[in-house]
Amino acid sequence: MNNTLIIGQYVPGNSVVHRLDPRTKITIIFFFVIIVFFANSFWSYAVLTLFGLLSMFASKVPIRFVMKGLMPIWFLIVFTFLLHLFINKDGILLLEWSFIKIYTGGVIQGIAISMRFFLLILITSLLTLTTTPIAITDAVEQILHPLKKIKFPVHELALMMSISLRFIPTLLQETDKISKAQASRGVDFRTGPVKERLKAVIPLLVPLFVSAFKRAEELAMAMEARGYQGGEGRTKLRELKISKLDIWIYILFICVIIGLFLTRNYG
Amino acid sequence: MKSKANIQSSKLLKMIILSILGTISLLLLFLNFPLPILPSYLKIDFSEVPALIAAFIFSPIAGVIVEAIKNILYLLVGGGEPVGVSANFIAGVLFVVPVSVFYHKYKRTKSVISGLIIGTIVMAVAMSVLNYFVILPVYAMFMGMEEMQIASVKKVAVLYGILPFNLLKGIILGLVFTPLFLKMRQWIESKQHQMIS
Repeated sequence: MNNTLIIGQYVPGNSVVHRLDPRTKITIIFFFVIIVFFANSFWSYAVLTLFGLLSMFASKVPIRFVMKGLMPIWFLIVFTFLLHLFINKDGILLLEWSFIKIYTGGVIQGIAISMRFFLLILITSLLTLTTTPIAITDAVEQILHPLKKIKFPVHELALMMSISLRFIPTLLQETDKISKAQASRGVDFRTGPVKERLKAVIPLLVPLFVSAFKRAEELAMAMEARGYQGGEGRTKLRELKISKLDIWIYILFICVIIGLFLTRNYG
Repeated sequence: MKSKANIQSSKLLKMIILSILGTISLLLLFLNFPLPILPSYLKIDFSEVPALIAAFIFSPIAGVIVEAIKNILYLLVGGGEPVGVSANFIAGVLFVVPVSVFYHKYKRTKSVISGLIIGTIVMAVAMSVLNYFVILPVYAMFMGMEEMQIASVKKVAVLYGILPFNLLKGIILGLVFTPLFLKMRQWIESKQHQMIS
């Protein structure tokens, strides 16, 4: 648990996908999630799957990490597949065994829906696998920048997200320390009746809240001492830049979209 | 009279406090409690507690912000899918807002308890309605399952899944939050004064 919390699922690397601008990745994933719902034929699914697998291999993330992202919904994929298999009654009867009847329509639809699921999870988990949470925050700040015109607090939101992310390891350590301190006094968090375990949470929470306010006061003081005055005219440590690579990837993705709409209804 | 710099600095402090409470909320989301009777995907966690603390010290809106931070963080670390995360956010808001509005109106221990009861009912009923009309159909669309859209299937899912789960979640949150509030009451009130001045 500790590792997932500290850096998310991020797998460090220097592949093409890692080097892409996070804004490019977010934009492409956003549109990919939409166009997946337009696929309706064998060849259109083939185009999307090719793109999905290509990005996966280009990211050079070990397959077991991708599989780990798929694990929680593995059951859901199998469940939807079986549901479609048994319920859909289109096409030719393939198999009949007492009350179970399987039709070709069911098989095809089951595969198609499972494929859609698989692609959605694959492409969205590639974002968190190849991009650090802080890079995603920076990118979202940039993407939402136009909303500043309607007084949406973009800078404040991004600042709050980066402060939160920065405090994850600190607070995780602190929680650990407090729970060990309480355990040494005989508090049992893991076993015993539910009521007792609920009670054990309180001595964990009180010091956590009190120290949160202390830390916040320290940080606010430190930021002001260094002249923090809100988002206007602030420079950045990490500048985002669109490179040639990003442009090529956009072109590739547009080709995928065109390919998808050409192959819709074929095969 | 307050100077402009002073207002700016109390705004910054408030932002930082809400961010850190959001982090605590995320940690509590991961420390979830598997309960013996319930299936494992219906998990009870205490991530609403920091949002309640924020809502009590500042305003109900502060509680909403903490809920939002928690859920965005959860997405960023790659923990969940957008539909479930939005549902968690809405459920949290529906719980935190009624409880804190009630507290701010009367500021008594009794009003906190009655607020928690009302919050539980509001969350459970509103989440049932939302699941019936929005969340379950959206999931069904993702899964390509028209069967999930049938009223009787949805009714069973809501009556035997969503409604009892949210009621139980509200009750457990209340059981943890009431003693916590009694213990931290003085601290919460002193912070309220400190943050206003």
